[in-house]
Amino acid sequence: MSQSLRTPVLFFVVALLFILEGSTSFWVFSGSWNSSLAILNMALISAIMALGVNLQWGYAGLFNVGIMGFVALGGLATVLISMPVTHGAWSQGGIGIVFGLLVGAATVIAAVLLHTRMAAGRSRTLAVLGTLIVGFFVYRYIFDAGVAGVEAINPAQTGFLGGLNPGGPDNYKAHGYMTVLAWPVGGLLAAGAAWVVGKTALGLRSDYLAIATLGISEIVIAVIKNEDWLSRGVKNVIGLPRPVPYEIDLQQSADFVARADSLGLDTTTASTLAVKLSYSALFTVVLVALIILAQLSLNSPWGRMMRAIRDNEVAAQAMGKDVTKRHLQIFVLGSALCGLAGAMMTTLDGQFIPGTYQPLRFTFLIWVMVIVGGSGNNFGSVLGAFLIWYLWVQVEPLGQWLMAVITSSMADGSALKDHLINSAAYMRLFSMGIVLLLVLRFSPRGLIPEK
Amino acid sequence: MSGNPYQDDRGNKDASIVNPKGSGTLVSATGTGHEMHTQEAFLIGDSMTGGYGKSGPDILHDCTIAVDKGEIAVIVGPNGAGKSTGMKAVFGMLNLRQGSVRLGGEDITDLSPQARVRKGMGFVPQTHNIFTSMTVEENLEMGGFIREDDIQDTIEQVYELFPILRDKRNQPAGELSGGQRQQVAVGRALMTKPTVLMLDEPTAGVSPIVMDELFDRIIEVARTGISILMVEQNARQALEIADKGYVLVQGSNAHTGSGKDLLADPEVRQSFLGG
Amino acid sequence: MDFLNALVALSNFVLIPAIAYGSQLALGALGVTLIYGILRFSNFAHGDTMAFGAMVTILFTWWFQSMGISIHPLPTALLALPFGIVVTAMLLILTDRTVYRFYRRVKAKPIVFVMASMGVMFIMNGVVRFIIGPGDQRFADGERFIIRARDFKNATGLNEGLAFKTSQGITIVTAIIVVAVLFWFLNRTRTGKSMRAFSDNEDLALLSGINPERVVMITWIIVAALITIAGTLYGLDKTFKPFTYFQLLLPIFASAIVGGLGNPLGAIAGGFVIAFSEVTITYAWKKVAVYLLPESLEPSGLVQLMSTDYKFAVSFVILIVVLLIKPTGLFKGQSV
Repeated sequence: MSQSLRTPVLFFVVALLFILEGSTSFWVFSGSWNSSLAILNMALISAIMALGVNLQWGYAGLFNVGIMGFVALGGLATVLISMPVTHGAWSQGGIGIVFGLLVGAATVIAAVLLHTRMAAGRSRTLAVLGTLIVGFFVYRYIFDAGVAGVEAINPAQTGFLGGLNPGGPDNYKAHGYMTVLAWPVGGLLAAGAAWVVGKTALGLRSDYLAIATLGISEIVIAVIKNEDWLSRGVKNVIGLPRPVPYEIDLQQSADFVARADSLGLDTTTASTLAVKLSYSALFTVVLVALIILAQLSLNSPWGRMMRAIRDNEVAAQAMGKDVTKRHLQIFVLGSALCGLAGAMMTTLDGQFIPGTYQPLRFTFLIWVMVIVGGSGNNFGSVLGAFLIWYLWVQVEPLGQWLMAVITSSMADGSALKDHLINSAAYMRLFSMGIVLLLVLRFSPRGLIPEK
Repeated sequence: MSGNPYQDDRGNKDASIVNPKGSGTLVSATGTGHEMHTQEAFLIGDSMTGGYGKSGPDILHDCTIAVDKGEIAVIVGPNGAGKSTGMKAVFGMLNLRQGSVRLGGEDITDLSPQARVRKGMGFVPQTHNIFTSMTVEENLEMGGFIREDDIQDTIEQVYELFPILRDKRNQPAGELSGGQRQQVAVGRALMTKPTVLMLDEPTAGVSPIVMDELFDRIIEVARTGISILMVEQNARQALEIADKGYVLVQGSNAHTGSGKDLLADPEVRQSFLGG
Repeated sequence: MDFLNALVALSNFVLIPAIAYGSQLALGALGVTLIYGILRFSNFAHGDTMAFGAMVTILFTWWFQSMGISIHPLPTALLALPFGIVVTAMLLILTDRTVYRFYRRVKAKPIVFVMASMGVMFIMNGVVRFIIGPGDQRFADGERFIIRARDFKNATGLNEGLAFKTSQGITIVTAIIVVAVLFWFLNRTRTGKSMRAFSDNEDLALLSGINPERVVMITWIIVAALITIAGTLYGLDKTFKPFTYFQLLLPIFASAIVGGLGNPLGAIAGGFVIAFSEVTITYAWKKVAVYLLPESLEPSGLVQLMSTDYKFAVSFVILIVVLLIKPTGLFKGQSV
């Protein structure tokens, strides 16, 4: 099949899967549009993450295994932007925290300056070490006091700084647009982290990006889990505002009820569908815009240069291209996309739960999407994201169905039967591995290969 | 982008996940299906035509290279003449479209390089020809890996041939000088007790004094009855010790004769030996 | 006396745990470094394979326990260990046959192996959870302590007790034995040398008649042994939970890289560097400080540099610092 035909056909097949999920309750399909749209919304977000990874891997051959960290930073941005400020948090410690962090940053900068300015020798080592140690204790002294102050404020409800929502604690949900503002901020936050990682890891004699990203993502998660003043840590932030209406408001609107009636839907179903559809619309706009941008960039002089570097780094270097700088650029860009997607995901969830960030789900699954879809091809990554996310969700009922078939001849109540049925959930990981290995082996360029 | 999708790494050289160092590039050639038999010799690459890869352009054109027992044969020629390629073809690292390779009368055209080693061919590549992280003695041991019998005697013989290696036996080979590394490389190839020793530019990058010494050693090896097939940049010195010389030009035999004859041939002198 | 007390507290809370943890990391990192050196890629499935090895050992341990077989005072897991190794080795060879061998045949780039190892990681992850579940599993039995804190206090008259767990003792002894055997194998035996030769220069190894498939198979067997031992020891010392093993990937990779990827000696050194930095930086030093400092200077806080939740951050920062100073790791690795 020629590629120009292959792409639409594959997209059609995937679309069909979503339609089946919504329209029929045959086999593993639920027959619920609600479920179909839920899968679709997360698939749209996953597609953005896959685009970001494809930017890094497909265009530049950079292997990022810290996607989870950037996604979580995006989620953090949503909290920091869309939640209302905690009353009194800034006066009771927030300032101290910021000042403490500044002291910490100043210490590091001073140490680096000392290291570069002073002549190598024992006195330099002592000076650098001294600065670091003194700086660290000063930082901890100021910072810890600030943290204690902030976390003491009504820890059961807040205990964190809160965000920038102008509505205040009582009315912040009216300012749902703030979450949308948080999306680009999430991208920026991730980009900033990526810049630091890339600057360090790509600057080394041979690059160590994979381990660096693996490390930074664990650190990001650790920070988010432990710094309660920032986002309540494992106490989670719930009740984030929404950019779309609430179901309950829709159900109370006479206008909406009338329209649902005319479509022959009961109000509850109609309201959940409407909310999900609004999200889908928002996400689709972002995804389509990003695909267009990615395609334009791919065919721009910049994109050609990136591919030239990828295909022959030595020649590109000889032509005067600053390879490290270009790599850093694309790494930051790709990570920003992951951050953006992370912010969108937290918006969709309406809550920020650090414990849910798992590398298998947020790093390696995205890799499966990119590899299966077709590295180097934007449409491939998007298709991969839709397909893999769909499978990720649907493998669970599929696993249960399979286990039911396997165990149907076993005696009820046998230990093995129970074990098999209870373990069906882990089929999901297993099958993702199988899909990845099959595609990697038999179609190593992915479903929609790079041209 | 290469045709093999598994070999597309997108320029990734992330040292924390991939280790290209020392990875293999050796590809065994496929047989020709077009046998040639124009002359007899102990080792002969007979009328070889072929190039790299399945569809690469031909680099060799009807090229014949042969060496008899205890002889030294030298392949010389200008840059890009296909000297090393000719040797690799004899060793089974090139896809031949035509021609045969015979060792001691046996057709070995379809054998992989490893199998040719077992048949008694020793090969010293031009670069990456020693195990740099292993000691000199370990290099020799690895050279004799396929042997079932005691290799200690052969190690002794190598040390007698290259006395300096005995002193450095416990040093990592990567720490030796260029000339000493070449000695290790030749020693390693001798460990299988080959009947033919093939050397790809053994004197590349070593000083003239070391070169003379290496050539002396190579003559010594030949005296023990081992045939030597050698590619050389230093044409004049090489032809001086050669029993037989092959001048290749653009993958074809341009001149063939004894080393002395070629040195005396005005045309060869004019074009390849700088007058 | 105070000094002795401080020393005991230090050994109890820092030295012994760090040595035990370091040994576990070193064994794990040795596996990573062997695969990196010989198969030339970083194996993302390492942590999950470790979980698999430990799981098989646990299953055998339970079986032995149910039959009443024991080697008291040692934990039954030690008896089950060889069986765990054999099963894990069979699994790894099966994985190699079904997954990796194909890529060697087509001369795939190492990065393709890395991606394949991600697939293997998913599968192993699923298999382990499918068989034993995602939760904590206890399988330690036998004598819990070599030295009990109270006995130590009574015997020495010090305020500080020193507790030396059996699992820690076993970890240290086993690690020493395993490392000694591995180095003897790599440096003294023909097969071991052929593995080093293959890692050094694949083509030349081939020309010397070394069979790559055999080298690869032996590597997987050794890796299976290392990883099963490391996983079982970690489980005995702390607890068995599949996700913890997955997370060990970072400190294990960090150890191997800090030491110099592809260099076995480096893997061991790296393991201890990472373990000691993690433990010292996340330890609350107050206990030691109260003995050493005069009363007036006694710290009010815990004197903990960082909370234990940041232990991954520590491995990572150490890694970056080492790489900035010495890009090839402490010992010269292959990743120049």
